Amino acid sequence: MTMTTADNQPLLKVVDLSLSYLTRQGPVPAVQSVSFELGRGQSLGLVGESGCGKTSVANCLMRLLPDNGRLTSGQVLLEGQDLLPMSEEEIRRFRWRRMAMVFQAAMNALDPVYRVGQQVVEAIEAHGIEETTAQARQRVARLFRMVGLDPQLMDRYPHEFSGGMRQRAVIAMALACDPAVIISDEPTTALDVIVQDRILRELKGVQRELSMGMIYITHDIGAVAEVTDRVGVMYAGRLVELGDTVDVLHAPMHPYTAALMSSFPSISGEKKALGTLPGEPPNLVNLPTGCPFHPRCAHATEECRREFPPQAQRGSQWAACWHPLNGAQESEQS
Amino acid sequence: MTNYLLRRSGQMVLTLFLIVTLAFFLVQAQPGDYAAFYSLNPDIPAEAREQIKASFGLDKPLWQQYLIHMKNTLTGNFGVSFGHYPRPVIEVLAERLPRTIVLFLSATAVSFYLGFFLGKAIAWRRGGVLEYAATISGATLFTAFTPAFALMMIWIFAFKLGWLPVGKFLDPLIWRGAEVTANHVFSYMLATAAAFVVFAFLTLLVARKSGRFATGRLPFLIIAAGAVAIPVAWAFTGIGYLALDILRHMILPIATLTLISFAGTMLLTRNSMLETMREDYVMAARAKGLPEKVVRDRHAARNALLPVITSLVYSLIFAIDGSVIIEGVFSWPGTGMTLLQAVRSEDLPLVMGAMVFIGLFSLLAHVIVDVLYVYLDPRIRYQ
Repeated sequence: MTMTTADNQPLLKVVDLSLSYLTRQGPVPAVQSVSFELGRGQSLGLVGESGCGKTSVANCLMRLLPDNGRLTSGQVLLEGQDLLPMSEEEIRRFRWRRMAMVFQAAMNALDPVYRVGQQVVEAIEAHGIEETTAQARQRVARLFRMVGLDPQLMDRYPHEFSGGMRQRAVIAMALACDPAVIISDEPTTALDVIVQDRILRELKGVQRELSMGMIYITHDIGAVAEVTDRVGVMYAGRLVELGDTVDVLHAPMHPYTAALMSSFPSISGEKKALGTLPGEPPNLVNLPTGCPFHPRCAHATEECRREFPPQAQRGSQWAACWHPLNGAQESEQS
Repeated sequence: MTNYLLRRSGQMVLTLFLIVTLAFFLVQAQPGDYAAFYSLNPDIPAEAREQIKASFGLDKPLWQQYLIHMKNTLTGNFGVSFGHYPRPVIEVLAERLPRTIVLFLSATAVSFYLGFFLGKAIAWRRGGVLEYAATISGATLFTAFTPAFALMMIWIFAFKLGWLPVGKFLDPLIWRGAEVTANHVFSYMLATAAAFVVFAFLTLLVARKSGRFATGRLPFLIIAAGAVAIPVAWAFTGIGYLALDILRHMILPIATLTLISFAGTMLLTRNSMLETMREDYVMAARAKGLPEKVVRDRHAARNALLPVITSLVYSLIFAIDGSVIIEGVFSWPGTGMTLLQAVRSEDLPLVMGAMVFIGLFSLLAHVIVDVLYVYLDPRIRYQ
């Protein structure tokens, strides 16, 4: 679980990324100075409540922003190349070729009027990966087999697929152009737990096998534990904690991470009432001063209200907190 | 599919039955005596009068007349037109109906294409000058009073500018001495148009089956070559100038109908596009790195087309309905004008015949669009 690759250059490096949405109430800072690195074959989780900016980060990486989205600062370096200053045509060639996405709602990520295989072929042909349509179709058949789908299904329409099959098809589609990085945005939320688990394992397997970098976005701590090497916790558009998954889950430093943890049941641990975190994530239009978490935090002091905290470091783990928890401490909010 | 079509045909026969019934009783409910009017018509010789009277059973009670009328209609006997005596109704309609269908099908096709194209463009680039211009002018024309607008078009383009003929189907001066009849020329024109549509369709089909989706411009060049070849071929037939005369007479009514009706398709397409543009598969298409035009046309617009096609049925039927007004203003001798003249001159068999045929056409339009829908939306399968 090292952070960088052998040649010492991370596969994907995100530096000080900030994004605002222009709205009638003024600019809404959806993502604020987010930085992280992703190595080859490594998998990074991004967790947090709904509306904390996880999906916005994913969209920034793919440069798939709505018309009112404005990147205010930052760099997204994929294999050393900055994606943000690229022209529309350059980024179009880049998308899916080097960085692909497994969509949040696989149900709706397939166009209902085209055959599933055709939609994968379309991506392959748009990037000229194969010479002929016949070769492209052979490639789709291989991809289908890789994700556990019968290749004969490629000539079916999306409505003829079950939820799990569609999710597999969407994964196959993401792998179509052999990308270096794959972004999975809550890929299994619409599925039942059994299928969810199976698909997670397969996704993880494929990622290892092809040695891709993966960014896994979810609010499900269980999935994070299963598929990610490192995990970042987001709150109100900021990355508030980042570290190796094992460390973060066992000894969270940020009170918010601890609160998130305590609200998930553990099968192996002792039986206890699940914790709840009072309040709601803050309104991004009108963020609290200082640390955005302070109104909900039991440890908040005067300085938390005044100034955004610096990073507290512990090994390869850090948290943006004035009063980081030390390993043994559990959340006191329940 | 075959089952579905059979069932639909059954339903059509039933609906047609109702239409014939309705037409019969509506005409019976007119003031004036059908039978008396018939037997007092001095244009009809006495022996023919008796013969027709017996064949229509005009001396029998109403319910018997109705049954006989139904039997006649279902066996294709629509009687003889009073106004065009002694031509049978069916012959008059066979001459007039294609003119109406061609005029309104072309107008519907043009306005559908224009409306869909504009709707797609203004949804994709919202808030542009084009959006305001197209929406305002479209809505204004859509709500304009049809006869007044049609007269205005005639006044501008035929009277003031003199570019196009004022109305009618052809110019008698040009046709003087022509060796073929207008109907012959018109049916050749229809055959040519039908052949061209089939040719274009097959070209696209072959292009689609054979290669990549970005097959390039080749199929369109082939179709364009076909479009150029047709007038050249017609020029060599010696009746090309006659066909040109009919075409010149078609331009103004088609343009008028298009201007009146394209806004409906345009606004519907725009709203439908705004829905589909928010769909995940459109975002996915963009994420896949497909060119913007492919995302717009093959994904967003392709899905936005579905509800628009549904509305096409209604606009087709509305167009045929509106043929009475438009054909009246442009003196276009189609079904609409025939119906209007027949009503005015109490040519009752022709009135009933025209009503039945307009009804039949509407039913066919419905079935055709239903079948088309199966090809456009794979989720729809008729059992």
